[in-house]
Amino acid sequence: MNTTYGMVAVALVAVATLGIGAFGLRMSRTTSDFYVASRSVSPVLNSSAIGGEYLSAASFLGVAGLVLAYGADMLWYPIGWTTGYLLLLVFVAAPLRRSGAYTIPDFAQVRLQSLGVRRVASVLVVAVGWLYLMPQFQGAGLTLRTVTGAPTWVGTVVVAVIVVVNVVSGGMRSITLVQAFQYWLKLTALLVPLFFLVHAWAGDDRPSPVAPAEWFRPFSQADGPGLYLTYSVMVATFLGTMGLPHVVVRFYTNPDGHAARRTTLFVLALLGVFYLLPTVYGVLGRIYARDLLVSGRTDTVVLELPSRMVGGTTGELLAALLTAGAFAAFLSTSSGLTMSIAGVVGQGLARGRLTTVTALRLAAAGCVVIPLGLALAAERIAVANSVTFAFALAASTFCPLLVLGIWWRGLTAHGAIAGLVGGGVCAATATVVTITASPGGWFGALMSQPAAWTVPIGLGLMIGVSLLTHKSVPANVSRTMVRLHTPERLEVDRRY
Amino acid sequence: MTEEPGEPTGRVRITSPLTSAPAHVRRSVRQEIDESTGIGEVYMRSLIRAQLRAALTVAATLVLSIGALPLLFLAFDSVTEMHVLGVPLPWLILGVLVYPGLFVLGWLYIRQVERAERDFTELVEPHRPDSP
Repeated sequence: MNTTYGMVAVALVAVATLGIGAFGLRMSRTTSDFYVASRSVSPVLNSSAIGGEYLSAASFLGVAGLVLAYGADMLWYPIGWTTGYLLLLVFVAAPLRRSGAYTIPDFAQVRLQSLGVRRVASVLVVAVGWLYLMPQFQGAGLTLRTVTGAPTWVGTVVVAVIVVVNVVSGGMRSITLVQAFQYWLKLTALLVPLFFLVHAWAGDDRPSPVAPAEWFRPFSQADGPGLYLTYSVMVATFLGTMGLPHVVVRFYTNPDGHAARRTTLFVLALLGVFYLLPTVYGVLGRIYARDLLVSGRTDTVVLELPSRMVGGTTGELLAALLTAGAFAAFLSTSSGLTMSIAGVVGQGLARGRLTTVTALRLAAAGCVVIPLGLALAAERIAVANSVTFAFALAASTFCPLLVLGIWWRGLTAHGAIAGLVGGGVCAATATVVTITASPGGWFGALMSQPAAWTVPIGLGLMIGVSLLTHKSVPANVSRTMVRLHTPERLEVDRRY
Repeated sequence: MTEEPGEPTGRVRITSPLTSAPAHVRRSVRQEIDESTGIGEVYMRSLIRAQLRAALTVAATLVLSIGALPLLFLAFDSVTEMHVLGVPLPWLILGVLVYPGLFVLGWLYIRQVERAERDFTELVEPHRPDSP
């Protein structure tokens, strides 16, 4: 692959990202600007930003690679990542916006009137964020190595530095513009080369993929943990999306609950359009790039196809466009994650002598250092796996907290803490066991996709302990419910 | 006026209609909600129940549609082997058809809850000029 085009593509994305960030800086002055863009972002811009932030390396590169390697069964991942937004829409979008809080720990505190819940939720936000950041940084390193031949750490460090500069300089306002730009960049980067690829495939007498029967058919074998794995992926992705810190923080930038719903509906459309594309890349990869299976570099199939199928300068330009899209994916997801972790940590720091904006800047820099170190130190942990664990952890902890907190008056602070700790410890244990020991068989399946059993544990603990401590239901729960559920245009008393 | 002896009569109090007691004031639903009275609670619970019902309908639809797909593929070989326009049916369902389905579900849900919220607004503030 031609190094120059790839380098130029990466440089352009980096400059555009920082440029739009600087433009945002001139408009961003107050603390409210910094955290949630003063809550004045329109649904279309906001949903593009959510799409841009959400479509990470796993979506842009990972899905095509998984389809190439494993076939039909892998289509559940993009389905789950989209369905998660539908469940977010119906259970949390509008009430969460109406709660008026900045972050999940804020929500937990105003709903349950407890500093303890706030602290546990803050720790979990950081844990989920780091689990999600690490593979983004690693993916960036791998991509830059594929495209330019640079050592892996270069791409990792480059992405981390750009993210910190961006977050530190402009906060959420500039992030919103950057993210919105990056959704459209990612969509274009996948769509345009696809026309050329499909044209080349049609000119090549439309060959079919060569693969064993189980590649074509979901669940070709009924025995074994296949069915469990599929349902566990569904639980993790359906319920985990609403608990991802970088997704939730986006909802505070809507002007009201009504706009929060509109935004989520637009997001469903944007994700649906985007996820049609990686599958086609995966199938074409099965036809034209089967050797990647042998070398184990299936994650790079999206970047490799243009030079193999189109070739020449056109092929190299298309590959550069795809590289730009991949880099946008790393940058946008990492920026959003860093922003949301920094928001939570920064609020904790701001209780001391620091001003809120300084605290946020310090937190942003600090929060990137640890996953960066992990990404540099760790041998390659499968990118898709790490992301799945972030989903499983979020689904076992924040999903019950949000859903019960919004819809059930009986939730108590004790119940919430029990559920967050119980669900969190189970999901974290499974993650550590898989990464350090990677056991096989049924035990391995239970550990590698833990959501199907950790979510019931988190939810059960939250409900059970709340029932046992029902005397400590916050006194103002009725008022909180009025605030969460009444439309904003009604002039009722919303004070907590 | 003649009175039969031995027939007791109840004492009758005659009052003027013009008393100092305050006339009955019609309390607005908004007041009931703001003061968390029993009636206010009933209104709030009915709103929350309507919204939760819409959300659970979507969740149930998902479980019965996408959630049932793996079992469907497992149970019926004829489904997995069917081809539409040269594409195996499971790929068409999982790779394409699911997404417009999710969007339509979301759209129907929003229509439902926005209507519930409009009705609630109408109930609480019936004479607001800007309430549709």
